Amino acid sequence: MSGLAIRYARRTPRHEVQVSVPKGAVTHLHLPDDDAKAHLVTAVLKARTEAGEELELFGESAASLAAGQREKLRLRVGAVSPIVGLMTNLNAWENVSLPAAYHGTPPLPEVAQLAHDVLTAFGAEPRYFLARVPDELGMLERKMASFIRQLVAAPELMVFDALEDGLSFAECRHAARFEAEYRARQPEGTVLYVDIKEVS
Amino acid sequence: MQALREIEGGIQLSLNVAACLPKITRAPIFESFLRQVYFTGVTAATGVILRACALGVIIIAVMMNMLDADVDLAVKILLLLVFREVGPLAAAVVVILRTGTAVSAEMAMMRVSGQTRALRYLGIDLYDYLVLPRVAGIMLATAALSFYVQFLAVLGGLALSPFIIEASFQELTGRLFELFTPVDFYYSVVKSLLFGFAVAACCCWHGLNPPDLTQNAVPKVVTKAVTQSMMLVLLINAVFAYVVFGILFFGLVKANA
Repeated sequence: MSGLAIRYARRTPRHEVQVSVPKGAVTHLHLPDDDAKAHLVTAVLKARTEAGEELELFGESAASLAAGQREKLRLRVGAVSPIVGLMTNLNAWENVSLPAAYHGTPPLPEVAQLAHDVLTAFGAEPRYFLARVPDELGMLERKMASFIRQLVAAPELMVFDALEDGLSFAECRHAARFEAEYRARQPEGTVLYVDIKEVS
Repeated sequence: MQALREIEGGIQLSLNVAACLPKITRAPIFESFLRQVYFTGVTAATGVILRACALGVIIIAVMMNMLDADVDLAVKILLLLVFREVGPLAAAVVVILRTGTAVSAEMAMMRVSGQTRALRYLGIDLYDYLVLPRVAGIMLATAALSFYVQFLAVLGGLALSPFIIEASFQELTGRLFELFTPVDFYYSVVKSLLFGFAVAACCCWHGLNPPDLTQNAVPKVVTKAVTQSMMLVLLINAVFAYVVFGILFFGLVKANA
């Protein structure tokens, strides 16, 4: 595996962020603050930069992309992030299957099978889990639903944004298995963990 | 400037809805459309039974008393006032109060909580998934609800009239069918569809464009959406009545010299 999945730089008066994420690797990033984290995740998800930012996704510069190319690039990226939250008026199944139902691919039985497999692997009862709306789900369960929704799209780059935020120790151990689950389906995929530096 | 921005936004929204109309057959959009029809039309139907009947009864009772009416006048009042004007207007008021508030608040909440942003990241167009099913659903439900209100109001009026004037229910009903023309029906259906469109477009636009992204924006959005929807409905009603009855059928209305 060669090349970079992400090359990102952002300069502000307060700090400078330089990020290089090799393709196929697992990278942990600790950014100075929430603002820097939000800017990085947003830029990657939108495949678009703001003033003072530079971004290359899979070797393509975001600044020079046409709308169609940008859209294609965005489909190669997924994120389990508060920025891409669940729809509160849809139950977990509708949330998980919404992108597939809207885009018409993959077929819904395939999505249902994937959701069933992942939830079973995580020890959840699929029918009960998928029937609940986000307000009835715990923090880990919401992250699981969001993760499954991303898995359905089979992204080449998976961003885990502040994955452990709001989780107990036991739940963190569960969440740590997301990576293995993603790897099992995308062996050559890239994983990026993003969080902020803990101030001690 | 704000008013111009709102008018421009409303026109843009209407054009976008028209452009993405063929996508309504997609599964999640169609599901959302059916939900909207159910919420706006079906669940509102039971609540309007008594009000619609009372509306017809009150209008006919007051007019009869004031005008000392005969059978012809009673039926004309029912057709011109209740069927053509009050029915669609009453349905529009119910839709604004029930659905307009709900749609604008829901959309503003989605916008404030970042759910609309999440939809965009998932490659889902907001117009396709949020606006189109609501606009189409509210239009259809308003027309259906309007017909329901008209039917009940006319029925209420017909049921009461025999107690006020010397005419039987059968006589009044027979006269009603004689005077009723398809134009009455088309007129009220088209008007109801326009009312539904105006209410839905106005509420969706305000819901998606809150003044700021805080929780405080939600009640502001609802207030603005409801007041502007009401103004739009009244404006359409006035323009429609003038165009149809002023120009289309009788030529341009002119004041007598």
